[in-house]
Amino acid sequence: MPLMGKKKFNVINQAKKRVDAADKVTGRAKYAGDVVFQDMLIAGCLHGHRAHAKVAKIDTSKAKALDGVHAVLTAADILKPQSWADYYYITDHVKYIGDVVAIVAAETKEILEDALKAIEVEYEDMPGVFTVDEALQADAPQIREKGVGLVDGIPTKGTKGNIFFESYYALRKGNIAEGFAQCDVVIEKEYRTQFVEHAYIEPEAVIAISDPFDGLMTVHASSQNPYFTRRYVADALGITMNKARIVQRTLGGSFGGKEELVGLIAGRAAILAKATGRPVRLVVSREESMIESPKRHPFKFNYKIGATKAGQILALEGILVDNSGAYNNQTQFLNCRAMIHSAGPYNIPNIKTDTYGVFTNNVHSGAFRGYSSPQVIFAGEQLIEELAEALNMDIVELKRKNILRYGDLTATSQRLSQETIFADMMEDVIAKTDYQAKFAANAVQTGEIRKGVGLVTCYRGAGLGAETADAGGSLVTALEDGSFIINSGITENGQGLKTAYTQIAAEAMGIKFEDINLMGIDTHSVADSGMTVASRGTVMAAQSMKKAGASMKKLLLETARMLLSATSLEEVDMIDSVAFVIGQPERSISVAAINNCRLWTGKQLSVYEWNEPKELLMNHHTGQGNAFPTYAYGVCVAEVEVDTATGYVDVKKVTSAHDLGTVINPDTVKGQIYGGIAMGMGFATTEEIEVSQGKVGNHNFDSYIFPTSMDMPEMDAILYECEDPEGTYGAKSVGEPATEAVGAAIALAIANATGKRIKRLPADLERVLLGKSLRAGGDA
Amino acid sequence: MEKIGLKMIVNGTPVSVEVSPFARLLDVLREDLHLTGTKEGCGVGECGACTVIVDGETVNTCLTLAASMEGKCITTIEGVAANEELHPIQQAFIDYAALQCGFCTPGLVLSAKALLDKTPHPSKEEIKVAISGNLCRCTGYQQVVEAIEAVANR
Amino acid sequence: MFRFTYERPTTIADACAILAASSGKAKVIAGGTDLIIGLRDEDKKVAHVEKVVDITHIAALKYIKTDGEVIRVGALVTHDEIFNSPILKSSVPFFTEATNTVGSPQIRHRGTIGGSICNASPAADPVPPLIALDAEVTLISAKGKRIMKLADIYDRPYKPTIGTDELLTEVSFKVPAGAKTAFVKLGRRKALAIARMNVAVLAVKKAGIVEDIRIVPGSVLPKTMRVEAAEALLIGKQATQETIAQAARKVAEVMLEMSGVRWSTPYKEPVIEALTRRALAQALEVE
Repeated sequence: MPLMGKKKFNVINQAKKRVDAADKVTGRAKYAGDVVFQDMLIAGCLHGHRAHAKVAKIDTSKAKALDGVHAVLTAADILKPQSWADYYYITDHVKYIGDVVAIVAAETKEILEDALKAIEVEYEDMPGVFTVDEALQADAPQIREKGVGLVDGIPTKGTKGNIFFESYYALRKGNIAEGFAQCDVVIEKEYRTQFVEHAYIEPEAVIAISDPFDGLMTVHASSQNPYFTRRYVADALGITMNKARIVQRTLGGSFGGKEELVGLIAGRAAILAKATGRPVRLVVSREESMIESPKRHPFKFNYKIGATKAGQILALEGILVDNSGAYNNQTQFLNCRAMIHSAGPYNIPNIKTDTYGVFTNNVHSGAFRGYSSPQVIFAGEQLIEELAEALNMDIVELKRKNILRYGDLTATSQRLSQETIFADMMEDVIAKTDYQAKFAANAVQTGEIRKGVGLVTCYRGAGLGAETADAGGSLVTALEDGSFIINSGITENGQGLKTAYTQIAAEAMGIKFEDINLMGIDTHSVADSGMTVASRGTVMAAQSMKKAGASMKKLLLETARMLLSATSLEEVDMIDSVAFVIGQPERSISVAAINNCRLWTGKQLSVYEWNEPKELLMNHHTGQGNAFPTYAYGVCVAEVEVDTATGYVDVKKVTSAHDLGTVINPDTVKGQIYGGIAMGMGFATTEEIEVSQGKVGNHNFDSYIFPTSMDMPEMDAILYECEDPEGTYGAKSVGEPATEAVGAAIALAIANATGKRIKRLPADLERVLLGKSLRAGGDA
Repeated sequence: MEKIGLKMIVNGTPVSVEVSPFARLLDVLREDLHLTGTKEGCGVGECGACTVIVDGETVNTCLTLAASMEGKCITTIEGVAANEELHPIQQAFIDYAALQCGFCTPGLVLSAKALLDKTPHPSKEEIKVAISGNLCRCTGYQQVVEAIEAVANR
Repeated sequence: MFRFTYERPTTIADACAILAASSGKAKVIAGGTDLIIGLRDEDKKVAHVEKVVDITHIAALKYIKTDGEVIRVGALVTHDEIFNSPILKSSVPFFTEATNTVGSPQIRHRGTIGGSICNASPAADPVPPLIALDAEVTLISAKGKRIMKLADIYDRPYKPTIGTDELLTEVSFKVPAGAKTAFVKLGRRKALAIARMNVAVLAVKKAGIVEDIRIVPGSVLPKTMRVEAAEALLIGKQATQETIAQAARKVAEVMLEMSGVRWSTPYKEPVIEALTRRALAQALEVE
């Protein structure tokens, strides 16, 4: 098997130390909440804490009268209560518990607390809709004007209901009726998943400052996507985008979560900064973050799948409905990915799936590492194993017969035309983990503590694909001392992007890793390169950095050629910041001399390159076409021990194998994989935002339970490489693949241990023991 | 409310501040002493991002009244590196890629330091226990444990 | 966060004088690992608090000592100090183990045994072992001193019958000769876990016959207490899988009788039985 280690590069494919590490281990790194400006005010929000209610009356006079209170604003006081992205800066119609009805700026935290308490609000409660099932009932109250209903099972414009029309995606491949007609075995199953919290350790923070020196409203923000945050600030103030500047501070984790709420608080802080003429800091508490930040979408899956006796899967039909919460600006993209992957990594000729979101009076769902894939893989892999059971066939045999291979057509009828090492990976991991022997032995155990093992095979479209344009730009600037500055619109969120980009630029230019400094994001420095999402940063967006590096290298070598008096027959190259004549290393010159020469001879010193994505054509009505430039494959085996007397699941070992194409940095890749396992474990066993009638039952990390160091299993990260030219230097995605298979594998392992299928996550104590949750909440 | 005079030693330097009776040690470190390496992640003693060492023991500064620190000796992350020279634990965190977003890192470094100061050669299990009050959402703790083990095995 | 004034006495007498003068509006703080959360969250239970009395500078409250047959632990001893005490580790391992499952190292370094007792959470891990030891607490006020059975101060969750003018200074207990102990805890994760349920068992066995047995489940009964009806099924009997199972079943039945059927009962009933069975098997050394 092609384990990492055979490729030859100068800077990438090596465990370079993280460029941001020294600042982070010493506490010097400044996160948004650490930034201080003179005379700054402290701001906060008053949340409605109701699922659905109109503000009948709001009286801010007592709050305003307090000494040290500088602004108390309600929806009536601001230019544009609703943001460009659906959510409200401030509202007078609360649609979920996180909605904000007033904002305050005050001299101190204590005065702010007093002012928030002094605001008097009277609400008129309204009926709410909470679960997917309730939202789809014909007589359900319509909670958003833009909601639509179903006609013959299809979301249809012009009808009343709670479906988020723009989030509807259909997949139609082959002939579903004919497909099922040829099947010997057909099963129908339902699975569900829960609201999950990102639980980045840094709560959201912004500080807004309006400086007459530059005439800008600058917001330093804990933003995953500063260009996205800029839209909120310009929108909230009614100013052009060139007057709104966002500086991304060191970001304390995001995983998709620091988009909407950070945008909203950036807008609120900017409004308050404008209203008071003072810098305004707004740091949300953990409790506020838990109710107002987005969550992983809960899904309800209804699947039907059929196969021949011999195990050929011929047809799959599915309805995938996700709970979008009260507002949404994500489901319409997320469901595209869900649709594309709705039939799993299997070669199935006939597929019909419908995927759509519904509005409810709940916390809203957003982007969260995987962007639907942990949920879809959980359901899909349970389904395949249940099919194997119905066929009375070994699950590995069933997978061997149906797994996608080179040249096969995916669910969207895209032909896999790049090297496809998927089946080989599966065989390798099965052998390494002794999966089949363990699976068989576990089926016949006795005793209270039972062992279980689960195998997941999955794939993931790399980058944004057909969801939206996967473009990006990078800027490389040469300095006369031989150092370089690089900029890009893609962000360091903790994943190691600065390090990877520095390696890629160094590789492309032939410059030493240490000679390059990557600027953080200031939206006034380079163009919007799209969001840092979809595991696209290294794979797709960095193409422009490679291009810019190559262009810069070309310029540097022109000067080197002149300075080295190379003849037209001689070739020059650059490695480790030294240019030389190939074959005559003694004829060399430092890049400092080259850059210095370029400066004083008036030659170009910076290069900006843009990478336009490859065209991908998809039919929106059938979901057929080329969905992604390429795919990253994953195989995961989880081993657990289940205490059948208490329902406690002890995850003992996770083997997580990934097709990385080319590994840019093995240490940061492993970091992604280990962290992804922890997150997948939480998703599988303990994590759930407990919603009940729109209320959230767990507001902080004492009741929202995710793994500690003591909970972690033995972990084996297996890194495969292959030849696939689509990504930067052949790299494929890892950030989301690292977590998407883990939850499903643990759920399968629990079923292997107990003989009872996990139909709904998380598999917490009560669900494992009793098959249901006892909490008041119930299903989302 | 009337402020309280407080004297303590922070990173080896005697400090004298006036604090609110209800001020948490976290607030005083961050707001009064501008030591922002100590982070607030949850405010209820779960995440450990606000960990410092008080008289040799790790504590959550979000659950500690500043006023109770009279006469105490406190080490924050800013006091771990000596004169620009990284502590071996900090260097190991860098060498083993034991951090990602870095928000929990100061707390983890201090928990590791308190452990190794008392128990220079802990077992892997002791390391896991020592950092079990520091939640990390990025790393899965694997490389963190490897980094601390590397220092412990020297 | 509620706001309050602060006092830092250095003697028990000074602390009691402050409490006496505060007409019920003062609250003692030690490690603060529970109280600060309540004050921050503006919990109704501490809404009356206008003053906190920090006792962490009273050196006289920090000791672990043996006094004849009695072991005395000062109120300010932390969970971590209990866990690391050689005396306690050898004589009452279930107590030291229980303190070592509290929260996290940071919490165990600050949180004290006195605080844990006074906070009176039904899920407190160190309390069931102490009740199994029939521990006594010493309460001192300006009016004098009284000694109470620990079990007797728990009538209701979170509201121990300790006067607002009283300071808990010590917990003490005798360890029966030949006692074996066990502490079993079920949490949702392995650290930073509030006990979903826990059980402490202390047992004395002679020639296979159970001479003394104390079974104290946590988080299942309205107050943390010994389940004598279950103990009675073992006293004077052979400790076997059968007798253990009967006693464990009895604990679940007593829970049903005392707490009634609640949302969590379908889960708690079989699980407290299993946890009790495991704790009994461990303490009674039954395979």
